[in-house]
Amino acid sequence: MNLRRADERVRFLGLIAVGLFSILGLRLWFLQVLTDDAARAAARDNAIRVLPIAAPRGRILDVDGEVLVDNRGSLQVMVDRQQLGGDAERVLLELSQVLGVDATELGIRLQDPAYYAFAPVPIAEDVTPEQAYWIEERGPLLPGVEVVSMPIRRYRPTPIGGAVAPHVVGYLGQVSPEQLADPAFIDYRAGDEVGQSGVEATYERDLRGREGYVSVRVDARGRTIEPIGRREPVPGADIRLTIDADVQIAAQDALRFGIEHARTVYDPNTLKNLKATGGAAIVIDPTTGAIRALASFPTYDPAAFTRPIPSRRFDEEFGEGAEYPLLNRGLQGQYPPASTFKPWILLSALTRDVVDISRGYECPPYWSVPGDTRIFRNWTSEDRGTMTLATALSESCDTVFYPMGYEYWRFYYPPPWLDGVEGNDDEPPIEPLQRDLRGSGFGERTGVDLPSELPGRIPDAVWKRSIHERLPEQFPYGDWVPGDFVNMSIGQGDTLTTPLQMAVAYAALQNGGRLCRPHVVASVQRASGRILRQTEPRCRTRLPFSRDDLSYVRDSLEQTVRAGTAAAAFSGFPFDRVWVSGKTGTAQVFGSQDYSWFAAMTRYGGRSAVVVVLVEQGGHGSTTAAPIARRIIEAIYGLALTAYTDVAGTD
Amino acid sequence: MDLVAGGRLGLRDRIRQLDPILMACVVSLTAIGLLSIYSATHQSLRTLDLDPGFYLRRQAAFIAVGLVVVVVLASLDFRFLRIYAPVVYGISVLLLLLVATPLGTEVAGSQRWFQLLGYQFQPSEFAKVALMLMLAAFLSDLRGREPTLGEIGRACGLTALPAALVFLQPDLGTAIVLAAILVGVLVVAAARPRHLGILFVSALVFFVGALQIGLIREYQVSRLTSFLDPESDPLRSGYNREQAEIAIGAGGLFGRGYLQGSQTNLDFVPEQHTDFVFTVVGEEFGFVGAAVLLGVLLTLIWRAFRIARGAPDLFGSYVAAAIGTYLGLQAFVNVGMTVGIMPITGIPLPFVSYGGTALLVNSCLVGILISINRRGVA
Repeated sequence: MNLRRADERVRFLGLIAVGLFSILGLRLWFLQVLTDDAARAAARDNAIRVLPIAAPRGRILDVDGEVLVDNRGSLQVMVDRQQLGGDAERVLLELSQVLGVDATELGIRLQDPAYYAFAPVPIAEDVTPEQAYWIEERGPLLPGVEVVSMPIRRYRPTPIGGAVAPHVVGYLGQVSPEQLADPAFIDYRAGDEVGQSGVEATYERDLRGREGYVSVRVDARGRTIEPIGRREPVPGADIRLTIDADVQIAAQDALRFGIEHARTVYDPNTLKNLKATGGAAIVIDPTTGAIRALASFPTYDPAAFTRPIPSRRFDEEFGEGAEYPLLNRGLQGQYPPASTFKPWILLSALTRDVVDISRGYECPPYWSVPGDTRIFRNWTSEDRGTMTLATALSESCDTVFYPMGYEYWRFYYPPPWLDGVEGNDDEPPIEPLQRDLRGSGFGERTGVDLPSELPGRIPDAVWKRSIHERLPEQFPYGDWVPGDFVNMSIGQGDTLTTPLQMAVAYAALQNGGRLCRPHVVASVQRASGRILRQTEPRCRTRLPFSRDDLSYVRDSLEQTVRAGTAAAAFSGFPFDRVWVSGKTGTAQVFGSQDYSWFAAMTRYGGRSAVVVVLVEQGGHGSTTAAPIARRIIEAIYGLALTAYTDVAGTD
Repeated sequence: MDLVAGGRLGLRDRIRQLDPILMACVVSLTAIGLLSIYSATHQSLRTLDLDPGFYLRRQAAFIAVGLVVVVVLASLDFRFLRIYAPVVYGISVLLLLLVATPLGTEVAGSQRWFQLLGYQFQPSEFAKVALMLMLAAFLSDLRGREPTLGEIGRACGLTALPAALVFLQPDLGTAIVLAAILVGVLVVAAARPRHLGILFVSALVFFVGALQIGLIREYQVSRLTSFLDPESDPLRSGYNREQAEIAIGAGGLFGRGYLQGSQTNLDFVPEQHTDFVFTVVGEEFGFVGAAVLLGVLLTLIWRAFRIARGAPDLFGSYVAAAIGTYLGLQAFVNVGMTVGIMPITGIPLPFVSYGGTALLVNSCLVGILISINRRGVA
């Protein structure tokens, strides 16, 4: 070839190009046509690895199937620390700019020790599609950074903001190192979400579903080559609650507004406004024990737990300063029951023949244990004269109940100086009052299907002795004295109950004496509605009282809302349409303002409901709790809601 | 046809000036590129609930910008480029110096990017065009005379300056491309085979020397040679190569159908919409599709060389030849690496791979080719 001429030389280059491209063509022929099968066979020889496919978590529905909690996709930014290498600082700075998160904070998230060195760490959740595009586009500039779509929980908001029933549904959080060490969590990996409270925790196994997988061939490095098998994930089951969203929202709103109103009310005892630091409202179906509403205040946002919260911030948002919003006060708050306890004292006293309904009882301004100078006062300084036991209940006359307490002392703890008999120290005393109260569900967990329920406390001589020995500072006296019974007779002293126990007890009073186990879950079901499991009402335990006594007490309580302590709070209420009876309570707690209680039994048409409201430092039962209960009752039966106004304190 | 005489051009001549075959090649390549980019990316974007056409639309936008560049450069007289070649060259060297300062961005140990308004810009791409123009301008000054060894040495110097800067980034692949442009232009510029031989031997000596004193690092060499024995490099490039080969092999004669390739869809081939875009065609359209793509690329190169032969002056001829060499080399190295006969160097497939900078540079080249053709004699 003559390369003297320029176009010849160009042609020479062209021939080289043709030659090189021919080589490519031959190579392609070899790869694609001749060794086609060999290439596939080589791939098959590689190892098999199983990759998980997450199962969508079950939804949480209200009693009518209305969705309270479901899932939505959330874009998350994951960072592989090993691939990041020396670029960490620059990559974090760039991500910090686009994500609007401080680079130092990103660095802290990246160093989360919960993740294995080789596992990608999520450093940002819920990024916008724009942010995701930006990161994807710059893939080569951001080594080890990846955007993935992860399902996260979506909570139904109430009309005035906040989630519906956060204390019932609970929240999810990343599985903790302690849980990972627990054999019960053997199939969990670091970073997995797990129910940490509420139904999310108690029904974790049902909600979680079963992970699916794809099995893939991988090469020597463990990189995926081709999928070979697949097991579809089994979605988690739905949980249908007994909660009625409408009643629940009404209870939440009534509690919140009632508490906000209480904070404007002046408390003459402390010369300040009421603090009304928190409260609980419960609506329960007395025929089954199904909880239709369970509100606790202050409340919280269950969506706040997608990432672990630093302990300092946790204390700020969920600690003492914030009045512990995570606390489900309905079953984790223990309070002196005060006068809401009186029906049970009376029932026991009737059963044990301590009192007699045919007799009249004096209601003086104060009373003392015979032979003792200590004065126990009635809530009013008026002398109310002689009254029936029914009136003593509806007007909550303390001085009628003090002697009942004392009678228990007299009957069952015969003072040695009276008949000269030494008490037998080895044998625990027979304690009929405590037995009757425990038989009514007090002092023991109700067994509700929510975590961390507290048992309350029915004190007795053995308990008093042992707590004194253990904590002599807080409990300076170890001997059971008549005053203990006297205090107990009006629900004070060392007696503690949860609002839920109170609701269950009043439900039994209304339904004729059956103690039902309360529950918030109606059924576990598939998304199709097919029921897998149903909560059967368990109302086998009978109260240790006679039907007649129960009716007497129940009917007596009707007067409370019509003429008794809660009459002002229920003025104008259409009693001709909805039957209501109830009991107020004003609990004295050492060092703080009075706690406000109200327990109500209601019935209209074929429906019935027990409503219990407690407000910490809410003053008198009639002032704060009873008006809240009234709003809830109005919402349950579709009556017009009355506004909050100041109600004079009674008991 | 005599342009100087200002004769009126018929429609057919006007069309011929624009080289419709060249344009058809470029249009087909960008179209194949769009299809392949979508195939390689739509699935992984969809799993994120993102717009599956995101990369497709971005590339289409780059193409639109590229089209403007083609029109602008094609309507210019390419001889201006000869006058400004030293300026363009100077700017490119300056940018290569700047990118080494903190103004540039380091990624995975290699400092080659500028970041501007959310876009990345690689001055080394720009340097390729600048070098082509500079070498063509310098050698065309010899008016067709055989360059002396000294002149060849100066041409080497012109190449060595940007090549060294690129090499230090370090980006060995682009440095080698720059050297290849030099060889291509020298061949067309009538360098003696003996001189080229001397050049080759001295380059070899330099390379071995650089390796000995540690200027070229071991890993760079192993990356270049791992394709000879993929088992010896289980760390990175061997994997890419193997995945690419499996994808292409799985394509068979007729391919698995558009959007049907499992290697492609399931994201098993890394960097598939950029450097390994050829594997999409190989897997989904098989040997037939891959051969057609190679044919289109070869036709493109043929048109470039044809324009070189018909160029009105030596500068135009050298520039067109350099462009042909450059495009041919890119295509060969890129496809070669996906089929396992060339090292993995991160060189994109012209007009097909996703990426704005390369598309812009290639659009410049096409614009220059048409500009030369418009004044050509062929």
